[in-house]
Amino acid sequence: MITLVTGGTKCGKSGYAEKLIDRLICPKYYIATINPVGDAAQEVIAKRMKMHTQKKYVTIECPRDIAYADIPIGSAVLVEEIGRLCANEMFVDGRILRTVDKIVSGLELIGAKASELVIVANDIGRDGISYSPELMEYIKEMGEISRRITAFSDNVIECVYSVPVALKGSALLD
Amino acid sequence: MIMVTGGAYQGKLDFVCRHFGLESADIANGSTCDFEEVLSAKCVKSYHRFIARLIAQGVDCVQFTERLCTENKDAIIILDEIGCGIIPAEKAERKRREITGKCGCIIARNSDDVIRVTCGLPVYIKGGKK
Repeated sequence: MITLVTGGTKCGKSGYAEKLIDRLICPKYYIATINPVGDAAQEVIAKRMKMHTQKKYVTIECPRDIAYADIPIGSAVLVEEIGRLCANEMFVDGRILRTVDKIVSGLELIGAKASELVIVANDIGRDGISYSPELMEYIKEMGEISRRITAFSDNVIECVYSVPVALKGSALLD
Repeated sequence: MIMVTGGAYQGKLDFVCRHFGLESADIANGSTCDFEEVLSAKCVKSYHRFIARLIAQGVDCVQFTERLCTENKDAIIILDEIGCGIIPAEKAERKRREITGKCGCIIARNSDDVIRVTCGLPVYIKGGKK
């Protein structure tokens, strides 16, 4: 089963996504897409430690090229999160690259191997603000990626202040 | 407790007044009211702006929100969804969004009903009549 969990900042999407995988009895993999540098590093490292030690997930650092993440067939996989993956793939050496096909095909590949795949994405297009052309391209790219993931997902859940709203399929958890 | 959320200018306040029969005297404005006022008001609007004011005064927003949920159990709390955008470059704004998210989750958890209003249309995303 493939589930996309989306929402804004601190909406409860990470916690909800973890609960979807936590309940399963099979090898669990956490694909972390963030580059662990800068201010966000400590929070990221703490999160990975928790996933690895407390929840027994195998962590795979994958800021790019998600198709190459080494996932055994039949495992449960949590990908967190698509916003950073898109930014990492899109903005390279001063260039802006198209990423939709690469990211979507990579996720489909993982989805074909995994018994359960949960993908965390970010809802970033609703603040009504017009940004620079580069950022608007990023927002547009994320919008298309979200729509393409939705097309092959069984469930799409939006978290609104931690309340799961099923936009496609079912929420699976209360 | 009842939570009403949604984007800016989507008709949250209008819905609350019509549906719950409230008048302006029943509503504390989170942008301007005294902090203690929200602990007894029938309804609090713009709670996301109230949180910004608490932050500016160095008040622990999570603690205050938990106190609100305990002391004003029957209140209707209106706050905008503000987290669906590009992560702000300014650290203070990032922090505000994060704290608002956390406090919103606390209110949702303590609410019997959570209603999301879009284009004036209310949708119960928690509770409501089955």
